[in-house]
Amino acid sequence: MKHSILKPHEMRNNRITPFKKVLLVGFLLLSGLPAWAQMRPGQIDIFAGVDFNYRDIFHNDRLYDVLINLTPGIKWNMRNRWEASAQVVIPVVNQFGEGFSNKVRLNMAVLSKQFPIKNRMKVKLSGGLFGASRYGLDVKSMWIANKWLAFTGQAGLTGYCSLASGWEASTMKRLTFLIGPEFWLESWTTQMRIKAGRFIYGDYGVQAEAFRHFKHTSVGIFASYSDIGKENAGFKIILALPPYKRTRRKINFRPASNFRLTYNVSSDYYSNRQYFTDPEQNERNGWFDRDMLPWGPDTMSPDFIYKDRKEER
Amino acid sequence: MKKITFLIILLIVSLLHISAQQYTGMSGLIHVPSAEMDSAGDARLGGHFLNKRFTPAGSFIHEGVPYHTFDCYISITPFRWIELGYTTTMYKRPNKDGELRYNQKDRYFSVKLNPLREGRWFPAIALGANDFINSHFGIDDKGASGYFRNYYIAATKHLTSKIGIVGMNIAYRHFFFDGSKKWNGTVGGITFQPIFARNMRIITEWSGNEVNAGIDCTLWKHLLIQVSLQSGKYPSAGLCYKTNLF
Repeated sequence: MKHSILKPHEMRNNRITPFKKVLLVGFLLLSGLPAWAQMRPGQIDIFAGVDFNYRDIFHNDRLYDVLINLTPGIKWNMRNRWEASAQVVIPVVNQFGEGFSNKVRLNMAVLSKQFPIKNRMKVKLSGGLFGASRYGLDVKSMWIANKWLAFTGQAGLTGYCSLASGWEASTMKRLTFLIGPEFWLESWTTQMRIKAGRFIYGDYGVQAEAFRHFKHTSVGIFASYSDIGKENAGFKIILALPPYKRTRRKINFRPASNFRLTYNVSSDYYSNRQYFTDPEQNERNGWFDRDMLPWGPDTMSPDFIYKDRKEER
Repeated sequence: MKKITFLIILLIVSLLHISAQQYTGMSGLIHVPSAEMDSAGDARLGGHFLNKRFTPAGSFIHEGVPYHTFDCYISITPFRWIELGYTTTMYKRPNKDGELRYNQKDRYFSVKLNPLREGRWFPAIALGANDFINSHFGIDDKGASGYFRNYYIAATKHLTSKIGIVGMNIAYRHFFFDGSKKWNGTVGGITFQPIFARNMRIITEWSGNEVNAGIDCTLWKHLLIQVSLQSGKYPSAGLCYKTNLF
């Protein structure tokens, strides 16, 4: 799905000679052994992760209140960058109390489509039940200015929908949006982004993040401001979960791709909040397939190296 | 031949880099900061038992009686010139049944910057702070205590000899909490890393109020242990998992 970045006159000057053909075929054969792309068309991944939350409230005789959920999910690559995904929440430990259900429930059911526009822009359209108890439509996009600067934008029209205690839903009329620049410092494998806009609880705010991406881990700090929650800051850790060498079949059972941990200085749960449209969404991998107009961390070595089974090559 | 062997040993020793595990999860000595830095990508996760003499006077007390406590920390060196850490130190408070339990905590961030790396003739210089966010003197209106709040500037120079590496550290620091002010002023220490045990470091320091001595040691490449005696008689100790994320 990669688009050529050569202009017509450059293509004429780059005619493939027989020698180049041999080299190219050899390269393609070799590169077919370990496949770098995330999912092959038609592939189904069934995975399970852990959603770990904790909060620090005084005067309840506990160091931390903990909320741990198992989050099994499924992804189906439907070809041409169409993807269907779903995620279930299975509560394991709930010290958060009322408002945080102990019911096993559907948390996410999303149909999405990604596509590039020319060589500069990538877009992802999603619809369905998102995380954070929102449902509706969502569009994400990234416009690539150069290899160190890009602009991202996201807009969603969503409503509340929760299966935590029966069926609760509101009409789909909350408009949220985020827009801002992203910077990629290649030699430092560092990514910085600023986003401003409207969040799911109706607050307006701005977020600034800086991440250092390591081999299988990303560590970042952030600061944010919301007109309701005011100032907040903290850090985020994203860990790509092993095994890092995987065999790829038509149906794969694996751990979730990552584990996320966020530390917030401020305890306001209802500000600067955004929903996820992918069960494995995280700040390390971004919104898009890494092989579609790679930018920023996409250009680093992939976390997972896939080896196709012989009969499926 | 002896000369060549000596030069090889000297080269190996000069390439070694051990940083102590401080109770904040940052590189340093025991209670005293240094200008040593972890390598870029180093991350630490650990805990430290803190003797009641180790914590600021008047901070970790119940009904006027100080108690021993412990802390947990996580830290990262994202670039070779900056270390960041987050520490929680446990408080004891009576629970609903009136029993004294470790059920509260003091939280703080630490940062250390290294604008000047150690050279052949000049020392490394570091600027740092603990508990620098949302902290004031005593308890502020947001419940922050500022017990550990301090700023410092530190210098470190290493000398290599036949028997090991000697580290000389000097720092000037300023605490804000009354119970910590005894550690204000010029502090420093000497470390010694013997050639026969390159994973170990012997530390002696002047913290501004007392002389501390201790040892830290790296086991199985990732496990850091530090034991120390404050004023020669009050023990503290810590255990830390350290790994490089690159």
